[in-house]
Amino acid sequence: MDSAHVLSMVMLLAVCGAMLAGFQVAFTLAGVGVLFALVGQSMGVFDMLFFNALPSRFFGVMTNELLVAVPLFVFMGVMLEKSKIAEELLTTMGQCFGALRGGIGISVTFVGMLLAATTGIVGATVVTMGLLSLPTMLRAKYDPKLACGTICAAGTLGQIIPPSVVLVLLGDVLAGMYSEAQMSIGNFLFDPFSVIDLFAGAIIPGLLLVGLYLIWQITVAVFRPAASPAYFDVDVGRSHLLQQVVKVLLPPLFLIIAVLGSILGGLATPTEAASFGAVGAMLLAAFRRTLNWAILGEVVRSTTRISCMVFGILIGASIFSLTFRGLGGDEVVEGFLLNLPGGSITALVFVMILIFLLGFILEFIEIVFIVVPIIAPALLKTDIDPVWLGVMIGINLQTSFMTPPFGWSLFYIRGVAPEAIKTADIYRGVIPFVILQLIALCIVAYFPALATWLPDYLFG
Amino acid sequence: MSALSTFLTRLADNIDVINRKIGHAIAWLALTMAIITFTVATLRYGFSVGWVWLQETYVWMHGTIIMVAMAYTLLVGGHVRVDIFYRSASVRYRAAVDFFGTLFFLLPSLYVIAKYTIPYVLLSWERFEVSQEVGGLPGLFLFKSTMIAFFSLLTLQAVAILIRSGQGFFTLNYAREAGETFEGDGGG
Repeated sequence: MDSAHVLSMVMLLAVCGAMLAGFQVAFTLAGVGVLFALVGQSMGVFDMLFFNALPSRFFGVMTNELLVAVPLFVFMGVMLEKSKIAEELLTTMGQCFGALRGGIGISVTFVGMLLAATTGIVGATVVTMGLLSLPTMLRAKYDPKLACGTICAAGTLGQIIPPSVVLVLLGDVLAGMYSEAQMSIGNFLFDPFSVIDLFAGAIIPGLLLVGLYLIWQITVAVFRPAASPAYFDVDVGRSHLLQQVVKVLLPPLFLIIAVLGSILGGLATPTEAASFGAVGAMLLAAFRRTLNWAILGEVVRSTTRISCMVFGILIGASIFSLTFRGLGGDEVVEGFLLNLPGGSITALVFVMILIFLLGFILEFIEIVFIVVPIIAPALLKTDIDPVWLGVMIGINLQTSFMTPPFGWSLFYIRGVAPEAIKTADIYRGVIPFVILQLIALCIVAYFPALATWLPDYLFG
Repeated sequence: MSALSTFLTRLADNIDVINRKIGHAIAWLALTMAIITFTVATLRYGFSVGWVWLQETYVWMHGTIIMVAMAYTLLVGGHVRVDIFYRSASVRYRAAVDFFGTLFFLLPSLYVIAKYTIPYVLLSWERFEVSQEVGGLPGLFLFKSTMIAFFSLLTLQAVAILIRSGQGFFTLNYAREAGETFEGDGGG
């Protein structure tokens, strides 16, 4: 390793330390990138000419059509939440299944899948569902451990189930690196990879997870009936309930299926489908007469903030990577990963463990923009399929987010759970779900076809 | 409070007001963007017509939002931190992290961004550059100028943060973020 390579590794350590101190991630990345460029220049191992690419990097982010899907999906999710559509969805589901043993747990899982599918950022879903369904579950005398575990797990489903915002970002990053990696090893005839492939690839593994969750809920209901008792909401009559289902459940369900279907059916690009989702959510709110200027203002401001947060990290990470690659850091990482004994499988296992651990301190978006660009090029030069890699990263991170004691989702549920529920109870409640996640991860690892079959079938 | 301190506080307040107004105004582009994207998609699939300039309109709106509202997002605490330590740290620690982070990370980055984007934008102005696409929008030089807004507004906000965190370090009166109460970003 020459001094540039050493400097690039020092740079990695520095950025970790600086982020842990607590300064905003986007600006820490940019700042470390700039400072190390100056240090590198003064040592004569970095040429500031690399920064001539900066304006066109900016312009590339500003004109990336695919990334417009991000604010539009966010718009859709925030609209469904602020107009109380999400809330009623959860209540109605609870009333439908509540009379069954384990019914509320099952409906929370379903709603997690549906809601999450439209938003894709963990914190929000866990908090919303925690506020809405935890009180109901406790009133119904659910075991608090099971209740918290169910909500934590269901709230993270949104990362892996399309159309999730993080899958759009991950797909975009992987797509660029995949074509670069294939061409660099002289393969010009590779199958192109896009976000749509990743969406299609994530569906079966996502449903597998939902299936495992449901089996667990039913198992608990059968073997420990006291943990998830039936619950009758006396206020609700049967005919009224049917009316509610038609009014509350079907429209958002239809919207989500329409958005996803139009992408997978090849009818619309993710951005166009996201605009159907955004406008559709607005129309649903209008029909329910919950749409007004105040709500609309909140929705556009939330959308703006979340987009700027995401793209701030993207811009920061691109400044960081200008310096990192200029110093040859990518070569160091590649040399390390490709020379591990055992070849691509060891490299993959190593990367998965690394991402799992990093998931304790970084959110999905940060991992996608910071970690994936550093480690994925090496992996994509081997025979690893990008769809499979993307799905594995997704499930892995989702597991990390609910693993005690550092999982993000646990902090969020702690924030909304009553004091009477001990933190240790939350940890114990979520462990069965962590095990289910690991089972799913192993299944997808051993049968890559679960991820790759659907995109192959749909798009050849 | 000394006259200087009062002046600085007023300066920070004014910067906050500017960025908040700009952010609230530009946010409405998100709604417009959703409607235009929807229109483009509907026209294409429903009536098989499409105009490049209309497609560029929503892409450019998105670019404008991220460039112009980045400072607003900083103001209202929308940018994420790794807050394992920061969350439970003392007021003095948080003020110090924000002060030195802004001084050594944010401001140098903004300087470098300004240094490399200003010539790029000026070049575009010299040619009154238009979209490269056939049938695209005129005024690409205006769209590229949002990069100027990006670093100017962020620099202003950085100054406000330096003032507030600098004062907060001594007065121990320092909110986590200077801006409005976080409206709860919910969904998304």
